[in-house]
This record gives sequence, C-alpha cells and structure tokens, in this order.
Amino acid sequence: MDSTATASVPRSRPLATPPASSAGAERGATLIDIKDLDFYYGAKQALFDINLQIPDKRVTAFIGPSGCGKSTLLRCLNRMNDLIDGTSVKRGAIKIRNVDIYGRDVDPIELRKRVGMVFQKSNPFPKSIYENITYGLRIQGVKNKTRLDEVVEKSLRGAALWDEVKDRLHESGLGLSGGQQQRLCIARTIAVEPEVILMDEPCSALDPIATAKVEELIHELKKQFTIIIVTHSMQQAARCSDQTAFFYMGKLIEFDATHNIFMNPKNPQTEAYVSGRFG
Amino acid sequence: MPPTDASPPPAANIAESGSARPFEIRRVRTRFLGLTLDECIQGFFGGNAFVAVIILALITVFLFREGFKFFPLNQDNLRIYRAAGLEYVQHLRGLDESHLALNRYLQDVRLRGLQAMQVEGVPAAEIKARLAPFDAWTNAFGDAIDPVRGLAGEMGDLSVAAKEAYQQNEDYKVARDQFLAAGKTAEAQAIEIKEVDFAANAAVLRGLLPAAREAAAGASAVIEAQLAALPVFPVAELQPRLARFAELGREYLATYPAALAGMEAWKYDQPVSGLEAFQAFIFGRQWTTASFWQDWYGIVPLFTGSLLISLIALVIAVPFGVGAAIYVNQISTPREQRLIKPTIEFISAIPSVVLGFFGIAILGETLRRLSGWEGLSWLPGFPYAERLNALTAGCLLALIAVPTIFTLAEDAINNVPRAFKEASFALGATKLQTTLRIIIPAALSGIISAVLLGLGRVIGETMVVLLCAGNRIAIPDFGLGLSVVTQPVHTMTGIIAQEMGEVVRGSIHYRALFCVGIVLFLIALVINFLAQKIVRRYKVSVG
Ligand SMILES: Nc1ncnc2c1ncn2[C@@H]1O[C@H](COP(=O)(O)OP(=O)(O)OP(=O)(O)O)[C@@H](O)[C@H]1O
Ligand SMILES: [Mg+2]
Repeated sequence: MDSTATASVPRSRPLATPPASSAGAERGATLIDIKDLDFYYGAKQALFDINLQIPDKRVTAFIGPSGCGKSTLLRCLNRMNDLIDGTSVKRGAIKIRNVDIYGRDVDPIELRKRVGMVFQKSNPFPKSIYENITYGLRIQGVKNKTRLDEVVEKSLRGAALWDEVKDRLHESGLGLSGGQQQRLCIARTIAVEPEVILMDEPCSALDPIATAKVEELIHELKKQFTIIIVTHSMQQAARCSDQTAFFYMGKLIEFDATHNIFMNPKNPQTEAYVSGRFG
Repeated sequence: MPPTDASPPPAANIAESGSARPFEIRRVRTRFLGLTLDECIQGFFGGNAFVAVIILALITVFLFREGFKFFPLNQDNLRIYRAAGLEYVQHLRGLDESHLALNRYLQDVRLRGLQAMQVEGVPAAEIKARLAPFDAWTNAFGDAIDPVRGLAGEMGDLSVAAKEAYQQNEDYKVARDQFLAAGKTAEAQAIEIKEVDFAANAAVLRGLLPAAREAAAGASAVIEAQLAALPVFPVAELQPRLARFAELGREYLATYPAALAGMEAWKYDQPVSGLEAFQAFIFGRQWTTASFWQDWYGIVPLFTGSLLISLIALVIAVPFGVGAAIYVNQISTPREQRLIKPTIEFISAIPSVVLGFFGIAILGETLRRLSGWEGLSWLPGFPYAERLNALTAGCLLALIAVPTIFTLAEDAINNVPRAFKEASFALGATKLQTTLRIIIPAALSGIISAVLLGLGRVIGETMVVLLCAGNRIAIPDFGLGLSVVTQPVHTMTGIIAQEMGEVVRGSIHYRALFCVGIVLFLIALVINFLAQKIVRRYKVSVG
C-alpha cells in the first residue's frame, strides 16, 4: 500500500519549531515554496511543473475549473495523497520553512500535525463534540484533563462555535447542523495548533448564512494560521483571500494578488475564467 | 382532473401541424390467465415469501406442540418414581455410588504408584509385596459398604417391580382401548388389569427403614475406623493423595444423616407439580435414558456441553475472524486481499461432516499427541487421554464460525465512511491509531453482531459436535478450571441427531428431544434478535 506513508518514519520532528525570533517571521514572507512540481496518479500526470510561493499568515485561494488539480495540489501539501495507491511526486519539491516535505527522513504523521486539513464534506467522528476536538491531542498522548478542557474551549471559540455548543459538549458531533459540523471540523483542526490549514471547498455544502460564518472565521483565523482554500465560488475567493492561484488542466496559469486576478488578469485564460466565460 | 375549459382539444393542434406522429402512450400488455407479466412476477415472488412465512410458522407450531407434551409425561414419570419408592431407595443407592467413586480414587492412586515403581525398575514381585498392606486396607474399605449395598438392592428390586407393573398396566390399558375402539369387546375384556397397590408397597419399604439405619450405621462405623488408620503408601510422593482421600471420606460420611433423613421424609403419595416437572428438565443435571432404574431428562449437561464448546470456538474464532477482517480491510495489500478473502469464505463451503471426519482422523489425535509433549505440559488439562473432547470440537467449530465472523465484521469495517479515516490521518494519527480509535469503535456494533451470529452458527452446528465432542453425557467439571476444555461432552444438537432416530414416536423420550429442540430454537431466536437490535441501536448515523 502507501509505501511513502510508512517508508520513512524517524521520530524526530522534521519541521522543528523555528527560534522565537523567526517564529513571528514577518507576515507575507514565503512559508511554502513549491518548485517544478510534477505529480502523478499512477501513470497519469495530474500536475505539471507547478511553481508557487505561498506567503505566511495569509489566505491563498486556489481556483480553476473542475478537474484542474486544485485538490491534488492541496493534498500534496500534507501528503494526504500518500494514502492513495500509486501516487508519486516525480519531479520538483515542496518546502515548508525550507524543509523538503517529501524528504527521505520526513514523517508524514508529523507533517500532518503541522499542516491541518478541512474537507469538503464535514466529517466529524461519531463521537462527542468534546472527543472530536481532543482527538488530535489524545493521539499525541495528552491526557491532562484541564489542558484538554482549555483546548476545547479555545478551539471552539476560535471556530466561533463555543456559544452554540458549550452546553452540549458531550453530545454527539453528528447531532449538529451542517454548518456547525463544518466549524467543528475547523475547531478540531486548530486544536492541534497547525501552522497551515488546508480547506478543500469547505463551504460547498453549506447555505449562504453558514457560508458567511465560515468566511468570517477564515478572516479571524488568518491572524494565526496560513490558510489555503480551494473554492469554486469567485465571490468567495474575492471576499476572503489575499492572493489567488488560477489552475487549468494541471498547470498553474496565474498567481497574483486577488484583486489583480479579478480586476486585472494578465493571462487571457484567467480573464475568461473569472469573467465566467468558461469553466 | 383537468378543468373543462374551452381550449380546443389537442387533436385539433396535431391535425393542424400535420407532421406530428400520433400521441400513443397507452401501455401494451401481454396477459396470461388474465394477469399481466408484471403481476405474474409479483405473484411469484410474493407467493414464495408467503410460503416461507407459513412454513416457518408451521415449524414453530409443530415444535412447540410436540415439545410441550413432554411436561405432563415427565410429571407422570416423576410421580411414579416417587410412588414406586425409587426416590426412597435412591438415598441408599446414592451412598453406595459415592462409595464406589471413592474406591475408584483409591484404584487411581494405586495405579500411579504401580507405574512409578515400574519406572524405578522395582521387580514385579517386590511391587506386589510393597503394595500388599495398601491393598488389604483398600479391600477392607471396599467391603465396608456391603450391608448397605445389599439392602439397597433388595429394596430397589421391590420398587422397580412396582414401577414395572405399573408401566405394564399402562400398556395394557392402551391395548384395551385399542380393542374397544376396534369393536373387539371380547379381547378387551380378556385383558386383566390389576392396579398396583403403591400404598402396600410403600408400607413394606418403610418397614425396612430400621434395617437401613442399622446398615448405614454399620458401614459408617467401619469406614470411620478405616479412615482413622490410613496405611503408609510405598511411594512417598503419593501420600498426600491419601491424606486428601481421608478428607473426601469424611465429607462422604457427613452425607449419611442427610440420606437417612431423606428416607424418613419420603411420602409415596405426595403429588408432583407441573413446575417440578419443568424444573426437572431445565435444571435437571442428568440425561439418562433407557435405564432400568429411572430415566432423567435434564438439559443441563447438554446445555453446558453446548455452551462450553461454543465458548471454546468463540475464544478461538473471534480473534481470528475480527483480526483477519481488520487486517484485510485496513492493512493488507490488494494482492493479499484477493487471496485471503476467498480463502476464508471458502471454509464455509466445506461440508461439516467432512470437518468432523478431519477432526476424528487428524485433529483429535494431533492435539492429543501435542498435549503429551513436555513443553506444553504447563497448559491446563495437558496431557489428556480422550482424543474426542470439547477442545477438538471447539477448534473445528471455530473454523466454522470464522467465515461468518470475518465476512460480517469485514462488512462492518468496510461500511465505516472513508471520511472518518481521512479526517483522522489529517490530524496526524498513525494507521494503528486510526484503526483502533476510529474505525473499530465506529464498526463495533457490526462487529459485535458478527460475533453473535457466529455464536448462533456454532450453537446450531450438529455434525461436528456429534462426531468430535466425545459424546459423554455429563456436566463438564468447571471446578477444574481451564482444563475443563479437555473433557468429552455431549451437546443439545448432538443428542437430537443421535437419539431421534431410535426413539418411539410420541414417547416421553421423543418429546424430551423436542423440548431440547425448542431450547435451541429459543437460543437462536434470542441471538438473532440481539444481533439485529445491536446493529440498529448503535448504527453510526452518518451526517
Ligand atoms: N485518486 C485519483 N486517481 C486518479 N486520478 C485522480 C484521482 N483523483 C483525481 N484524479 C485526477 O486528477 C485530476 C485533478 O483532480 P483534482 O481532484 O485535483 O481536481 P480539482 O481541481 O480538485 O477538481 P474539483 O474542482 O472537481 O474538485 C483530475 O483529472 C482527476 O481525474
Ligand atoms: Mg477538488
């Protein structure tokens, strides 16, 4: 099965926390550096020569027509693609804080603690709200009850869900509404304090009000986290991202500040897509 | 219905446009016997389902109707046991039987000592000489019971005679009724029925009570004297066994007063209630048939036998079945999966009689040999002598349960949404953590019901247990701890298969077997009910 996932498992923390001085590295400095990336599903190439620098503590949107490789690239960033048989990065590299995440001594488990993910369809575990949020910490061996309680409150407040669920923390997470479930998933992700949060169409199953709440939340979250969001909604990309990458057929066509992409695209394909003429 | 407004009929439009095809949307139907094809197919499947339900209902009704008639018969059986005095005499016989068991204990000690000395290389004549004091003592101990045994035999003959006379009368009555029904009055009158006088019989038996007391007192005095003068056993290691024997002997002596009190309390005409007849079945610790003395139909030895074998089977099958399901679903490569799944599923295609044959011919013998191997002697019950026992049958039944448990558990695990797994990995969980903390809990209800259905499969299995369980009708001695698994047992399914062919239709034995069938039926019902309930109750409701 996924040979890459289990092949190299040194227990050191590869993405060592940088010294305090550089921890608050200036906003907007490059955090993720993708170079010449070719990615394959078996024999089928899905990403072609991607070069992209994603800045720290900003929201980056991936847009593009269906099947262009947005999700694929996103899942390369936390090596979720390792779980699919036969996938491989044939060329190029992805560096986060200058560490090659496909390096031989990288443990994908450790990587995923630093690069969290929120999925298109909300997927809380069939457990209580409390246990959903503490899951990430418990598997790291945290048992201290006060610590866990703190994290639950902090994460739920962080995901703007605290007031709605504080009286039912021990009820099943599946009893929440769709929008609440998605925010629970976000809370679950921020509970492990990642540096990057990947969101793959997080609002596509939500109604406009729930969507607005999540977008507001993204706005808050970018103070602490680097966020990459895949979306099919131009308005959403325009509303909540700082810069936008447009993909087409596995290639990165254009990457620029969001208002440039929407107001003043340099590439005619980008222009055609954002103005709704194809896609 | 469309309102009847003034718009022109559609036909007019079509006629105007001219080019349109006719608007033909009526269904074309083929009919057999006035039914359309759809209706025929529906009728066929509906009929099948209906027949299945009816047959199940008929089976249930038949089973219960035949089975429940057992209880009045058993009530009668117990009544005669009491009236004819068997119950009374049994107290004395019991003393004799327990004494016999003590004798066997002594013989066992002797045999061990003999073997130990042979191993040491002591010549035969010398062995005999060394054992002589012990043998003399044993003989004296053995003879001590003779007066009790003699009296019990005498009294037993009286009560058996009364019982047999009664039973013969019952047969005569049946014959007479048949003659009368056939109109043969002369023959019917020729049958002479002399009612058995239980009261007179009881008076004779009671009259022997002082003799019984005397015999018991004599026996217990001799035994007590013997116990006080334990011989020295020629093999020192076995001396503790003799000490243990003395303890057992004193316990035995302590039962004397209770036995005599039981005889005292006997009332030949005390009625037997229906409840007693029921309890004698449900809690009865003996299943004895075709005995010259008394037939007992107690399900406990069969039930515990079935239970023991099923537990052994589950203890083996659950780790294998569930483990294999987890491995195949979560860990194995697709190649392994293609190999393992059909292989396990194929096991269920092996006819159980073939498995039983394998058990007799190979497994039983192999296990027995293995049990004799030094390195394994620390295992409870090892080594053992009986080739066919609960362990042999349990191992084979495990083989039968594994496919059921594996397939259903694998289904349950497979039904856990992929999204849970992905979410867990995305939070930095390892594969093991994901499996243990997310997948198994989410599939737990399915896994439990898989185990329950595996249990149902095992309890109902007949052929393997009939061939391999050893078929000794006795309650396995759970006091021995885990080594109980090496005892031969009999089972509920096995007894039905074995005895149903031989019994007289309508007899008490026949109906007792039906009652065992009812118990099996109820167990199956409960297991299936629980399995379904668990699946429904704890089913993961996925958003
Ligand atoms: N598991 C997979 N195995 C093989 N090919 C895949 C797999 N997942 C995606 N692909 C292919 O990779 C290409 C990119 O897919 P991807 O899911 O990244 O597109 P996307 O941009 O996220 O599309 P959408 O907007 O519909 O989510 C597509 O051509 C798709 O068919
Ligand atoms: Mg996608």
